[in-house]
Amino acid sequence: MAETQAATRLREYETIFLVKPDLTDDNVDKLKERVRGIVGRDGGKLLRFTVWGKKKTLFPVAKQPRAIYVHASYLGGAKLVAEVERNLRNLDEVTRYISVKIADEVDPETRPVLEDLKLAGDVEETRPGAPAEREGGFRGGEEPGVEAEEESTEEA
Amino acid sequence: MGGDDDKRGGGRGFGRKKVCRFCAEKNASVDFKDQATLKYFVTERGKIIPRRISGNCAKHQREVAVAIKRARGIALLPYNAVVG
Repeated sequence: MAETQAATRLREYETIFLVKPDLTDDNVDKLKERVRGIVGRDGGKLLRFTVWGKKKTLFPVAKQPRAIYVHASYLGGAKLVAEVERNLRNLDEVTRYISVKIADEVDPETRPVLEDLKLAGDVEETRPGAPAEREGGFRGGEEPGVEAEEESTEEA
Repeated sequence: MGGDDDKRGGGRGFGRKKVCRFCAEKNASVDFKDQATLKYFVTERGKIIPRRISGNCAKHQREVAVAIKRARGIALLPYNAVVG
């Protein structure tokens, strides 16, 4: 009945964690496997890992100007999130993390496990000329429209 | 600019009517990971731009505010940027 249905439904969560920038790909993979192990052990389902790569942070994190961003999307219960976060807290390589619920009552059967992704990250220093519109340009690249709008309100 | 003022009346009218960016685009959603979009809703200093200026509707302004705070937590947006 309702209970049996509720047992198969899980919540969808995403966790993003920042890793120290000097870690190698192998070490990041090890971290991924560790999180995957926790999710599998506690009755969850890991959908996808996306490594965003090394990105410039807007302020120094753990005294480093950059960090490797890892995004994990998974299904599970509230206890699983607590367990994942507890483990991330205990890892020295992980400097920040955030978990957000995306959806309630997801049927695990309907969500396929997707292949892990790896993005290039912030490449402005190693390969100049590469597009980096998502990162870095905050201080310099203020949207002119917003500023103009602000001014027009002020003077009116 | 001046042509629209008669609708608002008084001397405090201003320009075009602003529409909520997220309401205008059906498939646009507020996402704390989307640094490029959230950047439009913070000042150069890193402060959240009020609704009366950004034009967001109340619902989406709430979502934007939460998203900006989450993004700050993972250093995608600054808490306080030094204006150079």
